[in-house]
Amino acid sequence: MIDALFLTLSALAIWSGWRVFRVDSMVRASFLLMVSFIAVGLIAVLLAAPYIGIATIFMMAVEMMVMALFMVMFMMNPAGLNPMVMVHQHRFAVVAGIVAFAGLTAAALLSDLPSRPVPESAEVVRALGHELLGPSMLIFETAGVTLLATMIGAVVLSARSGRYGDSDAGSVPPGLTPGGEPAGRKPDDGRGRPHHHGGQ
Amino acid sequence: MTLATVLIVAAALIGIGLYGALSQQSFVMLMMGLELMLNGAILGVMGFWAFALGGAPEGQLLAIIVMAVMAVEMAVGFALVVAVYRKRQADMTESLTTMRH
Amino acid sequence: MIAATFALLLSLPLLVWVAAMFDRIGAGRGRVVMAPLQNGAALLLRPNTETEAPDQLNRLLAPGWYLALALVGLSVVPFAPGVVASDIATGLVLWGACEALTVVVVFLHGWSPNSPLPLIGAYRYVAIGLPAMLLSMFVLIGAALPAQSLSVAEVVEAQRDLWNVVRQPLGLPLFMALGLAITLRGPFDFAEGAELAGGASAEESGPALAAWRFARAAMLVAFSAMAATAFLGGYLGPVLPGPAWLLLKTLAVMAAAVAAGRFFARMPPARMLTFLWVVLLPLSFANLALVGVEALP
Repeated sequence: MIDALFLTLSALAIWSGWRVFRVDSMVRASFLLMVSFIAVGLIAVLLAAPYIGIATIFMMAVEMMVMALFMVMFMMNPAGLNPMVMVHQHRFAVVAGIVAFAGLTAAALLSDLPSRPVPESAEVVRALGHELLGPSMLIFETAGVTLLATMIGAVVLSARSGRYGDSDAGSVPPGLTPGGEPAGRKPDDGRGRPHHHGGQ
Repeated sequence: MTLATVLIVAAALIGIGLYGALSQQSFVMLMMGLELMLNGAILGVMGFWAFALGGAPEGQLLAIIVMAVMAVEMAVGFALVVAVYRKRQADMTESLTTMRH
Repeated sequence: MIAATFALLLSLPLLVWVAAMFDRIGAGRGRVVMAPLQNGAALLLRPNTETEAPDQLNRLLAPGWYLALALVGLSVVPFAPGVVASDIATGLVLWGACEALTVVVVFLHGWSPNSPLPLIGAYRYVAIGLPAMLLSMFVLIGAALPAQSLSVAEVVEAQRDLWNVVRQPLGLPLFMALGLAITLRGPFDFAEGAELAGGASAEESGPALAAWRFARAAMLVAFSAMAATAFLGGYLGPVLPGPAWLLLKTLAVMAAAVAAGRFFARMPPARMLTFLWVVLLPLSFANLALVGVEALP
């Protein structure tokens, strides 16, 4: 029963992970990635880690939702009606992916893996809580401070007003051909901010 | 469900993720490749925790740290995408040929 | 466990009917008892609308996912001591995952018809729904703290002496904000507003719309049961049996949610976003700090 569930979920995780890079719409791609995460979270639940598994689902649902938002914001083809293949160094990437898979699989199969399964009676969630706020508190708090630093850094990076004036000053879209005329909207007030909301 | 099978699934996810991270031109799709690799990493960590650590809580802690790494990667990644878009009005890796504007 | 699942599946349609009645009372319309059934039947007879190049799969499945999330969320609520459909140690986290996925499902519902108004509704709903969900998690951690457990059954048992609504007065009002957000009503109804001609559901009609409305009401039931369990002591109460108390409290929360949805006006999305991040989220931190101080021995 557990084996069948595990196989199904693994197949789902791998298949949806693969489809991420094969579908036309980026929204579909981000939600397929979410499906992959959910499958992995459920596998973690099967592995007797209810907190980590469900927390993965929870976190990734939020993350992929944010990702889909950014997708709709940035993609040139929001609805996904046109075929979308935007790849470079494709063959190299395929080979690298296969080599990574083969290498890691070989490592997993050839090495002598230890076998010390989780005891049936273990209270894993309680143990995790005591670990987080006990012996490993420094690590946990470091992660928290890192996240705070990330927040500050993200706001600084993405803010429009920069240290040396507006961050989008003199912004010019890339040329259609290398070194060619800038594509897309022409900056009309010398500041480069596109006016696509009726002059807002 | 043994440790080896879990690790093979994790390896497949990491392989696909590496392919995505190397091949995609759009920054956001590239980040999806990175996320998929971290997904495989979480699965590998959980596999080792469940089969080889005897339930030591440090294994779960490591999974939580990987999740925090994911959140950091996403936040900084999106901030960079926004910054690049402000400068170049594009979200493709090719539009960044130089670190200056 | 199986009996609890059956009880849940049997009682949900009835409770959805009651939720629809409350909605009709709230809207001040007559024929409270029969109209929800008649409207539902009429919707089932109408054809679905077609849009140009939709995402068929997600359009078809979005109401089903919404309903499934409501069911999974409801399944962690214990009806009586030891009687719960899904008895897991991390019930509150599971409920949180359902909240997060609800935002995803509403977005898919608006995105999949490939039409502007639904997409606008879904897009701005996500901006509001994510912070609302975030603050509900802090509130739920507050509810879990006195119980020293993430299991919903333990959270109920920890309220034997004093209900959480008294112990942490900020909790329930803040949790109501989440309830209004995930059931798409009132001040948080940025997905299906009338100014967008129905927003995320603008393109829906017929059975699809009926299924979506059913799922939305089911989510209201699930939320009310969860709020009653986490803050009003769930099945605890004198004289009456446990399930009866849970039912009464659920109905009370449901009525309060419908009333709040009718009473409070909706703000512009940008102002609501500021309100959520600058006022409500710090309030939830304050709530958590309060609970923490209280829980100190």
